[in-house]
Amino acid sequence: MQNKLPLYLIVSLLLLVTLAVVSLYMGVYVFEKHSFYEIFTGLINHDGSIDPADEFVLMQLRLPRIVMAILIGSALSVSGTCLQGMFRNPLATPDLIGITAGASLFAAVTIVLGSYIRPYIPEFLQYSLLSIMAFVGSLITMVMVYRISTQNGRTNVVMMLLTGVAITAMGFAVMGLLIYFSKDDQLRDLTFWNLGSLAGATWTKNTILATVVAVSYYFLINKGKALNAMMLGEKDAQHLGIPVERIKKQIVILTALLVGTTVAFAGTIGFVGLIVPYILRLVFKSNYHIILPLSAVFGSMLLLLADTISRTIAPPSEIPIGVLTAFMGSPIFIIILIRNRNTM
Amino acid sequence: MLEASNVSYAHRKFSILENINVSVHHGELLVIVGPNGAGKSTLLSLLSNEMDKHKDPIFFKKKTFKEWDNKELAYSKAKFSQSNSHDIPLSVKDVVMMGRYPYFSSIPHKTDEEAAQKAMAETDVVHLTNREYNSLSGGEKQRVHLARVLAQLDNDIVQKLVFLDEPLNNLDVLHQHRILHTIKNFTKRGNTAVMVLHDLNLAAQFADRVMLLKKGKIVAHDVPDKVFTREIISSVYNFPCTICPNPVNQNPLIIFGT
Repeated sequence: MQNKLPLYLIVSLLLLVTLAVVSLYMGVYVFEKHSFYEIFTGLINHDGSIDPADEFVLMQLRLPRIVMAILIGSALSVSGTCLQGMFRNPLATPDLIGITAGASLFAAVTIVLGSYIRPYIPEFLQYSLLSIMAFVGSLITMVMVYRISTQNGRTNVVMMLLTGVAITAMGFAVMGLLIYFSKDDQLRDLTFWNLGSLAGATWTKNTILATVVAVSYYFLINKGKALNAMMLGEKDAQHLGIPVERIKKQIVILTALLVGTTVAFAGTIGFVGLIVPYILRLVFKSNYHIILPLSAVFGSMLLLLADTISRTIAPPSEIPIGVLTAFMGSPIFIIILIRNRNTM
Repeated sequence: MLEASNVSYAHRKFSILENINVSVHHGELLVIVGPNGAGKSTLLSLLSNEMDKHKDPIFFKKKTFKEWDNKELAYSKAKFSQSNSHDIPLSVKDVVMMGRYPYFSSIPHKTDEEAAQKAMAETDVVHLTNREYNSLSGGEKQRVHLARVLAQLDNDIVQKLVFLDEPLNNLDVLHQHRILHTIKNFTKRGNTAVMVLHDLNLAAQFADRVMLLKKGKIVAHDVPDKVFTREIISSVYNFPCTICPNPVNQNPLIIFGT
């Protein structure tokens, strides 16, 4: 099975590309030219064969949104898989253990306080600041959850989930306070956090996201073997020459970075990190060597699919994407709970 | 090969090991025995570089563990732990293949497949290759992990070192002897094994040297004939025993309760 990984990756990447092209054509606005080839060459040559309205919808609305769905879906799903490996439990996902809440808490505070300095700093810097603050929020929560729930390399699942509940409650409280005190335009931004949406996609955000994803994957994506070995126990993994402490630090920092940045740009989109590894586990068991790289692609597919549905199912309005992922994720959450009933 | 002096360890002011001096040579099979709570597992843990709380460094092949590169060390030293994880949702083959993780980066080489096969044959788990690890019995899981440890040390390096913490728990007589013969063959090739055992007769039969611990101190550390005497064993275990030569191989034969 290990030897077929490249094949699985190529097939799933092809699927993702197909899905992206289909998604490009889905929506309220219908393009004049219908063939993908015509639009593509028209854009490249810039010979005026593409209607400006078409070009705007394509390049400034749909494409950035698709790219963002791909990046965020992938990032959320990979951070879920990594956390599950580190905590050795399929319920360890950024949203259930409170990391998303921590990130959105810091992001919300930044939005409210930052509105006073917003006019004076450039867009790129604003978004960078926002994602850095969200990163700080998720890093603090992550360290807290790990310290509270894990002793001598063993995680107490109940403690882990309850810490998540506590942090999420704290997040709600602060969010309520902020909403109470905030002005109209801040209020709109804040509501957007709680629901989660990819509607705010821009190329600036995508550039920052792509950088974060590239850096994190450089370190994380080849850690499948190490996560497998950690199932033996941390000491036994060390005997296999795996630097367990260093890998745990990398996972903590980089998943915090991934989650923080996605929360900063798209709000809280829950359950992606739970759904994707769950489905992959059904086929490949818990072999992280295979499911870690595959979760990067399948996460993109899931979120792209969800986003396409969310903006086409009830035109001309949009269903918040977080609602869709929660519909898919909560039954899976319950299934995992029932399966692990005896080990909790 | 492996040298440690003045090893002491305390947990919350409660002393577990006191001033242990160990020196193991290549080709030697050292068996650590002793009653419950003697500190056998702790000593093995310290010697195999699982804790770094002790003052004096431990030397393996004349180098301290800190001076070793992680991967190089994994080629020369392995450990079989007593508390093996019971929940590993993978196939048996995947678990054994973990022993080859230091050798390949993404896809196992042919040599890795062969090493895993050989190790599985050695501990008699070939027929379980594609079984779900979680569905195995305790003894079978134990043999899978032994295969993993053997696969890890399957290379051309001379003078390797393996630690085994009660490797025979849960095993039937056939597999107990089979595993011990495998370990014995391993040491005959110039390698070293340090093993914790509870069965004194098996220790007497297979060990080159025996270390007898009680309450964190060495009571005796010598060849089996000198350690397994009536006075020493009955006082350490606080239980009467008779020791006579084994009629088959002349090793000491310990009969308790007489």
